[in-house]
Amino acid sequence: MDNFRKKQPPVKSVNATTGVPVERIVLNNGMSLYMINAGTEDIAKVEFVVKAGMAKESMPLLAGTTNMMLSEGTQHYTAEELNSTLDYYGIFQNLSTDRDTAGLNMFFLNRHIEKALELAVEILFLPVFPEKELTLLMKKRLAGYRISRGKVQNIASDQFYESVFGNNHPYGKQIKEQDFEAITTDLLRDFHSEYYKPGNMAAIISGKIHKNTVQLFEKHFGGFAGQFQPAGNSMNFLKGSDIRKIRIEKPGTVQAAIRIGSATINKRHPDYPGLKILNTILGGYFGSRLMKNIRENKGYTYSIYSSVTSLDQAGYKVISTETGKQYINLAVDEIYREISFLQKEPVKNDELEVVRNYMSGDMVRMFDGPFAIADSFKAVWEFGLDFSYFDRMLISVKTITPEEIMRLANLYYNIDDLYEITAG
Amino acid sequence: MIEFSKFILDNGLRVIVHEDRSTPLAAMNILYDAGSKDEDPGLTGLAHLLEHLMYGGSANIPEYDTPLQLAGGDNNAFTNNDITNYYITIPSENVETAFWLESDRMLDPDFTQKKTEIQKNVVIEEFRQRYLNQPYGDVMLILRSLAYTVHPYRWPTIGRDISHIEKIKNEDVRRFFNMNYAPSKAILSLTGNIDSNKAFDLANRWFGSISGRTSKVRNLPAEPQQVKAREITVRRNVPSDALYKAWHIGPRTGDDFYTLDLLTDLLAGGESGRLFNRLVRELNLFSEINAYITSDFDPGLAIISGKIMRGTDIKTAENELIKVVEEIKDGKVSDTEIEKVKNRYETSTVLSNTNILHKAMNLCIYELLGNADMINTDVLNYRNVTKKMVTETVNKYFTPENCSTLHYLSDQLTR
Repeated sequence: MDNFRKKQPPVKSVNATTGVPVERIVLNNGMSLYMINAGTEDIAKVEFVVKAGMAKESMPLLAGTTNMMLSEGTQHYTAEELNSTLDYYGIFQNLSTDRDTAGLNMFFLNRHIEKALELAVEILFLPVFPEKELTLLMKKRLAGYRISRGKVQNIASDQFYESVFGNNHPYGKQIKEQDFEAITTDLLRDFHSEYYKPGNMAAIISGKIHKNTVQLFEKHFGGFAGQFQPAGNSMNFLKGSDIRKIRIEKPGTVQAAIRIGSATINKRHPDYPGLKILNTILGGYFGSRLMKNIRENKGYTYSIYSSVTSLDQAGYKVISTETGKQYINLAVDEIYREISFLQKEPVKNDELEVVRNYMSGDMVRMFDGPFAIADSFKAVWEFGLDFSYFDRMLISVKTITPEEIMRLANLYYNIDDLYEITAG
Repeated sequence: MIEFSKFILDNGLRVIVHEDRSTPLAAMNILYDAGSKDEDPGLTGLAHLLEHLMYGGSANIPEYDTPLQLAGGDNNAFTNNDITNYYITIPSENVETAFWLESDRMLDPDFTQKKTEIQKNVVIEEFRQRYLNQPYGDVMLILRSLAYTVHPYRWPTIGRDISHIEKIKNEDVRRFFNMNYAPSKAILSLTGNIDSNKAFDLANRWFGSISGRTSKVRNLPAEPQQVKAREITVRRNVPSDALYKAWHIGPRTGDDFYTLDLLTDLLAGGESGRLFNRLVRELNLFSEINAYITSDFDPGLAIISGKIMRGTDIKTAENELIKVVEEIKDGKVSDTEIEKVKNRYETSTVLSNTNILHKAMNLCIYELLGNADMINTDVLNYRNVTKKMVTETVNKYFTPENCSTLHYLSDQLTR
């Protein structure tokens, strides 16, 4: 009687709606404001994206420390006052630094937008970088760094980036304990005044957007002009290591972290959507080949995945897992075996159909609601692209052939070029 | 205001639907009123292992994940001391696949010896990765067994020890399923781009024919009141000393829950919490500090934890921490401070309501706690907390004899 349970209900192939309107306004001070108006609740998120990431720094920790010190005292607020005020208005604030960008993120109820913008101005343009707060921050960061270096995942990842990008570029340079002593308030002030300029940043506001939003931005930000002169010279250059395989012993651990991968193309390259699909098949979702083989069939690990990441000046792909030390060689062999299958055997249609639909569904999630749309927008804006990137991705997802996937696997996953780092 | 409708099937399954037409997706959440507290003390980790095995296929479906991915869906699950929770987001035109998959594994999951052995391995690697191979990873294992003497909260959901996971047999998994995974022990919620009537029809079609099962009646030993301070010191290969203090509190549905939640936020929420301002910013004794309540359904814990700055004696740091708590006992709390915490709570509630999956999970949890409508009224319970309630509550619970303390010392530091 339960026969109706044998068959999956009919499934439709879905299309994400990427044609979401993003309104762009250039404020009088030269800052771009992007607005994504959607959502059911009277709440908004504003993200200020500044091209002041690690790639711009001349020494380790400079970009990140500058960013973290922004809320540690400003012209009109001490650190304590500023944080109490943010909390009092229920404004959730987050500062962060990535390889290419740094930023400030705020969630707030719309009735507090004026307060949020007033404080954003203080944080972005009026920080004073007090000595005392810097000393404390560096002590805290050093303590955090020591804990993070106790984790095999971080030891392996840090070495992986150094191998792939080299020690002469912030993408690859490993942080050392003594780096925490080298940062001074003068260095932070210089970095801030060079990069935190209206012309070098954008604001993306998403959520329920009220009519007076542009006017409020003009009111609070209009007074801060400043053209940005991109610095021409940089001592940073990218060069991968010649040593492909590094084993870092860490006594007392019960698991080792494995990182296998190399530098690759980024979002601006026409092959990128195809590479994303190839990555999904290999290790980009729960049903991936690496998960099925190494977790679900062999039980060597709790989790294994692969990813492709776009950076402004490069890109990289990496397969990551943690495994019992007795399984290291077995897991590494299986990883290479899965890559070579993709190079030699065309993907079967059943599997490709699953990946097409899974990725289409995932793209629906990337455009679900104002905050997700804002994240998707930022992810292309940083590269000078627009939502047509996602249209190209969607076409690839729907139409890519098994032959094309094999071509990409051979072109981008040459096993001899991959770095293999293990730590534990 | 979150509008929803509720329906109970003949087999006891509760179904809750909330329409949100602003999204192309639907979310399905299934909560089972079964967690690690329902385990036998000699065989811990079973509830969580069962969660893993629920992905190994069921009577009529050889594999769970592939058909879901084919429908563009995404899913995950978690187990804690109290509940096991499965959730899916899926383009709403394909929502019936979620009904098909979840009903078949509620009906009859396909546990086999082979799958059990593999997932035991996966879970053992998870145990190593999250609890043994991380600095401070074993803290909750130690703290729980110190704070609880008889209640099952004394072991963590992953299991008390790897040896427990190793000895679980396929029959144990089946038995645990039969006793704890009946339709009457589950709550199903659907949110997003779906019509309520259609959702109830689908629920009837797919879940209605699962026959009711008798399940185990829960009879857990109550934790006796702690009357004497407990303390334990361990040494580990970590870079700095850390301090953990846990006080017993009441259950999730108790009168003091909201006051305590608000209090821990006042102590350590945001960047302007009391403990942070005093102990990190002003005195530089800790590099980080945290305070929270465990939100367990049965009487849980209020925990304050922090990493000690190098060069600081843990006893000095602990004394200063206690001073901050004592000040609150003495009523040194301002109205502005309480208002601040309430405002933060309001933002996080509104934020949570922007997400159909959060709404789906919250509806199930509130229904299990007594009434799904608490999703709308809970904010009032926070609004109603007064300064007096905060002071009284701190005095009631934060006493030395009600406290378990863990000194987690670094063996990298020379003393």
